[in-house]
Parts: sequence; structure tokens; C-alpha cells
Amino acid sequence: MKLTVSHPSHIREGVTIKTIMWSKVAILAFISLLAVGMYATSSITLGLSALALVLVSVLAAVLTEAGIQKLTNQELTIKDGDAVLIGLIIALLLPPEDIKLWIPVVGAFFAVALVKHGFGGLGSTLFNPAIAAWVFMNMSWGMLTGSEYVSHLGSASYNILFLGSYSDIIIESGAVRFAEISSVFLIIGGLYLIYKKYIDWRIPLLYLSSTIIVAVIIGEELSYVITGMLFLGVFILAPDPTTSPITKNGRIIYGLLCGIMTVIYGYLTYNYVVAVLYTVFFANAVAPFIEKNTYPKPVNEVQS
Amino acid sequence: MTTEDVKKVKDKEVRKQVVIPLLQHIGTVCEPIVDKKTIVLIGQKIGEGDDEFSVPVHSSTAGHVVAIEERPHPICGSVPSVVIESDETDNTIEFKTSKNPSKEYIISALKDSGVVELNGYSLYNMLTSEKIIDTVLINLSFSGDVSSNCAPENIASIIEGMNLLIKASDAQQGVFIIQKNDKQLKSAIESGLFEEADIEIFTVEQNYSPSMANLLTYEITGMQIPNTCTPLDAGLLLSSAGSALAVRKAVLEGIPQITVNVTVTGAVHNPGVKNVGIGTSIKEVIDSCGGYSGEPGKIIMNGIFSGIALSSDEVPVIKSTCHIIVQSSDEVLHEIPGPCIQCARCVDVCPVNILPGRIASFADMGMHDECFKLHVNSCVECGLCVYVCPSSRHILQLIRYSKTVLQQLLKYEDETSSYGCLSCETPCLASTPYISNGGIL
Repeated sequence: MKLTVSHPSHIREGVTIKTIMWSKVAILAFISLLAVGMYATSSITLGLSALALVLVSVLAAVLTEAGIQKLTNQELTIKDGDAVLIGLIIALLLPPEDIKLWIPVVGAFFAVALVKHGFGGLGSTLFNPAIAAWVFMNMSWGMLTGSEYVSHLGSASYNILFLGSYSDIIIESGAVRFAEISSVFLIIGGLYLIYKKYIDWRIPLLYLSSTIIVAVIIGEELSYVITGMLFLGVFILAPDPTTSPITKNGRIIYGLLCGIMTVIYGYLTYNYVVAVLYTVFFANAVAPFIEKNTYPKPVNEVQS
Repeated sequence: MTTEDVKKVKDKEVRKQVVIPLLQHIGTVCEPIVDKKTIVLIGQKIGEGDDEFSVPVHSSTAGHVVAIEERPHPICGSVPSVVIESDETDNTIEFKTSKNPSKEYIISALKDSGVVELNGYSLYNMLTSEKIIDTVLINLSFSGDVSSNCAPENIASIIEGMNLLIKASDAQQGVFIIQKNDKQLKSAIESGLFEEADIEIFTVEQNYSPSMANLLTYEITGMQIPNTCTPLDAGLLLSSAGSALAVRKAVLEGIPQITVNVTVTGAVHNPGVKNVGIGTSIKEVIDSCGGYSGEPGKIIMNGIFSGIALSSDEVPVIKSTCHIIVQSSDEVLHEIPGPCIQCARCVDVCPVNILPGRIASFADMGMHDECFKLHVNSCVECGLCVYVCPSSRHILQLIRYSKTVLQQLLKYEDETSSYGCLSCETPCLASTPYISNGGIL
């Protein structure tokens, strides 16, 4: 009889990195499919280029990861879904119209090679790889990444459920980027992630509420503030596990900071879409600092 | 070989042996007071120490002593044990019963009967520690203990045990701690309590294992006590259902702690609660439950979250055993830990509010001074962080490793009055005791 001896605990909850990553991928893949469908209804070529953008970007990210791990003799971890998620987010941040397909390739390579593996791989990244890659692409080829296009509610050409111009929340027809196509499905997906405890509730709640409150206080039109990109930031980008603080109070401060910064940036540049991305990029940079200053006090602290 | 010889050999094989470890408590190992070939009776004292931290052990069977040697122990590797071969009789020593015991009688009875808590502390030492006890707590929120000892017919005895403890400690009141969703137990206790005015019921949310005593104190009284102290320092006498039963037995019936109730669950044919003698091997307990169903992979003592995985099923049942879980070989986890993705799920579940994953990462890198700064010593080893970890990292193992290293370092420091690991001393030209960045203290 062979008995195993190990430290406790002797059972696991069953949530793994794979479950967390692939459920995020599933939500974003659904959004992408919806977007491809939307673009295809307006013109077939646009739909095809949208599909190509998603596939090229995901493929580039996965191949880069596989190549790096092959070259450095590491175990292949493309199955954990992180590379797929990075590629998918990069595709979501780019406008499919007139996209040069080498841009997502360079972006995905930058994200996976430099920002992810350059900093030590999964779990050690300082910045969210997809956002850092977007910042890099935007700095280098601003005209081609379409960051000057601003979309907002109120320009809806469909009228679903008699919501009038606000039916943009369900399906936005004038979406420049994939991420803006449907706020509702992003919200549903985000709530599912919170319900399953794959992401923490503190960051999304405080990010969203502080954005809205600050926007109302300074008298900004909410239809400009609430975009699909904001919900992508609230539910996927900001609560990304690696780049957000691990302390409970730190996460509250991080969420507040994201909300306030988004409105400040958006108010000054009239571009609330780009504001979300630069805000999360900035918040990632200060997250270790927030974390270090919010270390919790243990219940039974040993007095010294 | 004649038939008589065959019978003798067979007899020898069939005869039951019990292995009674001389260390079943926190403290020093007892000295055996019996010799090889001594005839012992049920309840006879076989081991006793002369200092205050040892707890006497008693024989749980009648027979003769076969050997006094080192035998495997469920917790402490191997310790000196008395091996007794049963003679299949039930001759007992004369038990001294008492109807209405006085305080002194209860304390002396507890001393002689060697009642030990689930976490290894002796009740006698707690009662005579010169600290003022104002509340007696009986923790009925530890699932293993509750399933073994809180059968409906035992409730009255537990309340009697509580009353004896209140009398012995001069406490103002007694409190039963019950988990919120355990409504059945709550109503059973309530109906048993109708005429006791000074006993209350306190409901808690989570499952408090014996190692979480200080946390339980915080939940009940709001007093934060460091890990170097026990609830006793806050005026609480924390006991368990099993010990309350043992106290009642020891004081009113005069029977020392020689049997325990053990729940057997998992991959056995007839899971259930068994009353077994101290020293019976785990294998025999499992055989009495119908044996293993399938190939056993892991045997866990006292709780699936924080219990100890046993190295063999030959180890004996000891006084603090209350729950045996058998996992079949395909239930056993064989996971390779991945990198920490800083998801902070461990931070969210931690009952003492520390950062388990971060501490484990630092311990993995050997940065024990950082672990100390992150309060690694506050960990109560509940095992929840490992349960939720999506990367299946060995968080608790690394935390225990760090605690051990820190203990050794601090001990070394006391002896040599210098700081930390001393690895910096060798190259130092000025041979200055050097405090590393942050240092240990």
C-alpha cells in the first residue's frame, strides 16, 4: 500500500489558472464574434478584415509565446490561455477598418515577448501586456491605430427595445473598435466573473462608481463617459490579477484611482476611450506602490 | 511442528496489540512506570512524568507489556511507546466514582486521568496555571470533533462536563460555540440547557479548528492576542466536545482517558463513528469500518483542510484523534505548482488577514526576513489559501518552512547575540555583526 504524505489542504476548490483565463477568453471571443457579425452586415470586406484582425492577433501572440518558450527551454504554457487572452485584447483595442495586419503582429510580439516574458512571464508582469502593447502601437503609429476616433452613445442607427439612442448599450452600430460593440454583454460577462470569484468585486465596483460620480460632479455628459471600452476596462483590464494590488484596501484605492484618472484624462482630451487605456496603464505603474502602503494588519499581530 | 505449536503461533498472530505512545500532549515525554512482561489492567497508569508539563497515559486494554520501544507516531515521527498484548479479558482497575465532586477533587481527578485537548494541551495544566478564568468555552464548531462526539445521547454528558469545568475553574459563565448552519446541534444543546442560567450559546460563521484558538478568542471577545499566547491569557478556558466528555467520565466515573470517539469517512465500506481505545492502530479502526473500498491513497487525521496526512496505517490512535479521512488513490492530488499570478484569492479567504501567497513566494526564494515583516508567524495554518489557489501552490508548506527557519534563526540569535543568518559575517573585514536590509529584528 502506497500512502501519499503532503501538507494540507487535502482538497482543492477546482478553480485553476486555466478556468480563469479561458472564461475571460470566452467572454471576449463572444464579443469579437458579435463584432465580426456586425461589421459583416455593413460590408463583407469589413467583416473579413475584422475576422482577420482577431485571428492574426491571437495567432501572433500564441506563436510568440511558443517560440520564446521553445528557445529558452521552458515548458509550453500556451494552453493556460494567457497568450490567447493577450492577443484577443489587442484585437479588441484596434479598429478593424483599414487595419494594416502587421500592426497587431508587432503589437502581440511586443506584448508577449517584452512585456510578459521580458518581465518574467505569467504572474510577474508589471503592466498588462495588451495595454502596454497598445500604448506602444499608439505611440509609434498613432494614425494607424485609430485612437483619434471617438465613439459615444446617442448615435445609434438601430433602435432595440425602444431604448432610443441608448440602444447603443446593447449593440453599437458605429463602433470603431471591437470593445465598443456591446456594453451589455461585457457587463453580463463581468458580473459572471465576479459571481464566480474569478475577479474581485472591489476594483470593478469602485472603478465604475467613481467614474460616474466624478463625471456627474464635473458636469460631463454621461453618454460620452460610458463607452464599451469603459466596461472592458472595468471588468477585464483593471482587475487583471497580476497587475492590480493584492491587498484588499489597495484594490479599493486602485479602483478609485482608475475612476478619477479616467474622467480627468477624458475631460481634458475629449476622448474617454483612450482615457481608459492610459488610466489602466498609469494605475498598473503605481499598483506596487499602492500595495506596499496598504499591507494589512493581521488579526493576531505578534507584538514586538 | 505439532498442532499445539501451530495453535500457539496462530494465537500469537490473532492476539491484539495496542501501541500506546508516551507522548500524546504538548510537553515532555512520559517515563514508563511498567516493565516488560508486567501484567496491566484496563485504566492502569503506565506512563508518568515528574515535571508539570507531562500528562500521564493509561492502558486501554488488559494484558501484558510486550515491549517498550520507539514506535511510529501520527504526529511526531517516532516516540517511545508501550506495546501491550491483550489477553482478551476486560479486567479493569477499580474506578473511583463520585456523586458531587468538590473543586479540588475535580482538579486532582483531571490530573490523574490525563485529559488532553485536541491541540495537545493538558486540561489540568490549564486549570492550575494561576491565571484567572472567567469563561469556559466549548468549541462545537470543529466538524470532526462534532461529528464524533455530539451524538444526541452525548449532549447531556457534554453539558455535565461543562458544569464540572466551570466548577473547577471558578468561571462566571460557560459558552458553547456552534457553527451558524448547524441548527440541529443548536436546538439539541438549547433543549439540554433549559435550567442552566450561566451557560450561553454563541454562533460563529466558520469552522474553527483547534489551531485557530486565538482567532476564536478574537471573534468572541474582540481581544487580539498574539500567537505566543493562548486563550487562557484572555481568561478563557477553551475546550472541545471530546474533552468535555472525557472530563465527565474522569470525574464522575473515575475512568481515565483511554478511549476516544473517532469518525471514519471517505473510501471505507461502512463510514461511521467508532469508540476506540487509545493505541489501537488506524488499520484496525478502518477494518472495523468494513475496510478500504479501493486502493487507499492518503489517510488524513483531523480535518481535510488542516489535518495531517499519515505516513502509514500502522500508527496508533492517540488522545487528540477525532476524525480519520481515507482518500482513494485516484482522489489524491498530484499537482505541479505553477507561478503565482497574484490573483489575491488567498488574501480574500485568509481569516487572520495576512498575505499568504506573497509570504509563500518570499519563503520560496529564501527571503525569510520579508516573511517575518509580512507577519508569517500570525498564520494559524487553516489551509484555506491552499484550497482556493488556482495555481495549486504549496502555500502552507512554504509558510511552515519559513516559520521553522525563523524559529531556528531567532534561537541562533539568542545564543550568539548577533543578527540573522550570519552569512554576511564571513566576508566582513571589520567582523561587525551586520543587519541585512531590514534585518530580522
